[in-house]
Amino acid sequence: MSIQVMYYGMLAEIAGQANEVWIADQNLTVGEFRNQIMERYPAMREKKFKIAVDQKISQDYVSIDHASEIALLPPFAGG
Amino acid sequence: MEKEHKHKKVFVQGPISPDFVAKSIAGHQSKTEIGAHAIFLGQIRADKKADGIVTGIEYSAYEDMAEKAFQEIREAAFARFELICMHIYHSLGVVPTGEISLFVFVSSPHRRAAFEASEYIVEEIKANVPIFGKELVGEGGEYVWKENN
Repeated sequence: MSIQVMYYGMLAEIAGQANEVWIADQNLTVGEFRNQIMERYPAMREKKFKIAVDQKISQDYVSIDHASEIALLPPFAGG
Repeated sequence: MEKEHKHKKVFVQGPISPDFVAKSIAGHQSKTEIGAHAIFLGQIRADKKADGIVTGIEYSAYEDMAEKAFQEIREAAFARFELICMHIYHSLGVVPTGEISLFVFVSSPHRRAAFEASEYIVEEIKANVPIFGKELVGEGGEYVWKENN
């Protein structure tokens, strides 16, 4: 399956792009996806970030099957 | 009593002008059930960093998710406090030091609800809305990514 992955803030700098299409196995969970991301972009291991699946911040056990977009969110800085 | 629960756009490009704030206040004179307004304005501070002084913040956001998060905060605040109306504006793009990047405006029949709602809304925004900020430092194009506590 292919998923739209979006990078924000410093994570977009590390990835060198704001979004990309991710080709993933079926039955992928957020935790497994996080591991794959850190394998592709080792500099992200040092960064704190949350993962939003279809605009909802999601824990590692959540399945991302049928997700249409995943976003990697560094610490918030609003206000 | 009619409450405004409708979805409203929060983001504005660049700083929020004092004139806009003044006009927002004036716009409430016809709502005579209001007895108390509370306004919170976030202003960009010239913090000292290792490489110089902060000259501004460049904001970006995961806009679709952020607009949803703002809407959830609005709904929660209306449910929790006795409010007549509520307005939230947040900047995107560069806001220089000394200028306003966040404008929260709540109106209630009484002061206590207005005070408490404004604090609640600001804390929720800082914790739960996917907004990101680069603190621009000095004149050489340096920056530091901002992180809320």
